[in-house]
Amino acid sequence: MSATMSPAPAISARDLAKSFTVGKVSTRVLEGLSVELAGGELTLLSGPSGCGKSTLLAILSGLERPDRGSVAALGEPVWELNRKELQRFRLHHIGFVFQGFNLFPALNSVEQVELPLSYLDLGAAETRRRAEAALEEVGLGHRRKLRPAELSGGEKQRVAIARALAKRPQLLFADEPTSALDSVSGQTVIDILHRAARQHGTMVLCASHDPRLIAHADRVLRMEDGRVLADEHTLHPAAAGEPAA
Amino acid sequence: MVALARKTLIHEWRRYLPASLAVAFSGMLLLVQLALVFGIFNGAAVYINASRGQIWAGYPGTQSIDSGRSIPRDAEMHLLMDPQVAQVEPFQWVNGDWRGKRALGSVSVFISGVDTAPDALAFARVIPPALRALLNEPDAIIVDRADLPKLGIRVGESGILNGFRVRLVGTTNGLRALGGVNIVASLATARRLNVGGDPRPAYYVARLRDPQQAAAVAARLDPHERGRRYSVWTASALAARTVHYWLFETGAGLGVVFMSLVVFLVGTVITSQTLMGAVAGSISEYATLNALGASHRALSRVVMEQAGWVGLAGLVGGGVLSALVLVLAQGQDVPVAITATGILACAALVMGITLLSGLLAVRTLRNADPARLLR
Ligand SMILES: Nc1ncnc2c1ncn2[C@@H]1O[C@H](COP(=O)(O)OP(=O)(O)OP(=O)(O)O)[C@@H](O)[C@H]1O
Ligand SMILES: [Mg+2]
Repeated sequence: MSATMSPAPAISARDLAKSFTVGKVSTRVLEGLSVELAGGELTLLSGPSGCGKSTLLAILSGLERPDRGSVAALGEPVWELNRKELQRFRLHHIGFVFQGFNLFPALNSVEQVELPLSYLDLGAAETRRRAEAALEEVGLGHRRKLRPAELSGGEKQRVAIARALAKRPQLLFADEPTSALDSVSGQTVIDILHRAARQHGTMVLCASHDPRLIAHADRVLRMEDGRVLADEHTLHPAAAGEPAA
Repeated sequence: MVALARKTLIHEWRRYLPASLAVAFSGMLLLVQLALVFGIFNGAAVYINASRGQIWAGYPGTQSIDSGRSIPRDAEMHLLMDPQVAQVEPFQWVNGDWRGKRALGSVSVFISGVDTAPDALAFARVIPPALRALLNEPDAIIVDRADLPKLGIRVGESGILNGFRVRLVGTTNGLRALGGVNIVASLATARRLNVGGDPRPAYYVARLRDPQQAAAVAARLDPHERGRRYSVWTASALAARTVHYWLFETGAGLGVVFMSLVVFLVGTVITSQTLMGAVAGSISEYATLNALGASHRALSRVVMEQAGWVGLAGLVGGGVLSALVLVLAQGQDVPVAITATGILACAALVMGITLLSGLLAVRTLRNADPARLLR
């Protein structure tokens, strides 16, 4: 299907199935879904509300166990790892950006970014260096001493992205990262994610029902009813600020 | 390392204040009730605490000073033979029955017969030499000022004690007994009032040249052989025996334990609820950290550290509160007494409250499921 031949995919998921049971009602969310995702690409997962985007993200990123199927991330069979191994895997390889920014109110921007880094035992100097570099990368170097209460929504999301990027993950998952933001801030955020994919070779998977983001993606997966309906590679991904064709 | 626990505590101190206050008030309640009970029951050992002298000899196995029985007079010689002993004097113990001149019925009293020399040891802390000299007058007695209404008598007036007419020659402070009225008389008067009783004294008090040697001297003076007719204790050991006896004789000791449990429970409920609320309020932040690879144990450490700081603040606050309350009580003549062991025990309980609350709050972290952030 894919137009370009990439080497080993960053993520390869086979035959995923997931259903949720609430009371006596069981809802099938994913039904035999398979997908491969490459490093260095921003893939947009789009589709109507409730079609299973977030659920797929959670399964691929090692947060929610599928009922059936397998996920290989960077060659690791994610759902065969035990809890501790899975946590280590997330620590070393996976970054997350959520719809809510989930920043600690008491910490300033550098500390927000340093906090998850501190679990990598890099040493204080290297931790600080990486945190400041990550903040520069999202254009917030000048905001590093401010707490969340003193930042705009867009700036908060950029701090959250810096927090996810600072540990240099090969896999970055973003769930509706722009839905709480105005269109300009949303644009900035998706540009940063895109740049991260290009510059660091990171696999970025972004779930969103915001159609404005489509123009910024390298690849768009359209989901409906727990299945991938369409898989489109954008041959000439739009540069930042360029309107979608 | 980012000091998440401390920074959050400082930034959101209002959220954690109730927990610290709960800890502080628990600590204060624990300490003050202990101080009150000890203060009241120290009254049982007033004979020892109000006297000078570091060594007491009395009937073997005496559990409480008020249950003393006569001992042989050779105990006095035995004590005097020790080179450390500088002074020995007898202490007479007589149970009495008082009839005031008004119709107050009879009052049961404890009569202490003491030496009347200016440098005498018995009650030296509460009866100054001038007052003591008045006891040389036959049938003279001294009581605590606070006991006057109970006896229905004023200084200079007479009453009937064990069938003899006695005269109140003076009053003092700090003589109050537990469960009766203390009456101090000379040894001669006490002997006369002890109708049909054993004329020998119940105790001998000794002063040492070096008070620091009390424990060693008591140990070597105590006749260890079987069938001994008296025992030797340090003053503090006999006082502790007495207070201990009364604490459990009256059930007050169990009361203290019970009340401490209640305070512990209430303190833990409030503290843990506050900490749990704080954790619940930051649950998505904790979940995000967990998604990014921070282990549950690392997050638990943050919560436990917060509990520790909350407890420490509460401990300091409770200490200040307790000190204020105890000073106030002392100013109002409320009997309070506290020992280092008591303070340590309260501090340990307070840290127990904190630890348990922290562990309960850590359980709330189970809700930090990062999958819930993806919806
Ligand atoms: N923990 C859960 N328990 C029960 N049902 C769930 C749970 N998580 C998801 N679902 C259900 O699964 C379906 C898919 O949810 P999901 O969050 O993946 O949708 P989505 O595509 O991300 O939607 P949106 O665009 O609104 O975020 C929904 O119908 C939802 O009700
Ligand atoms: Mg969703």
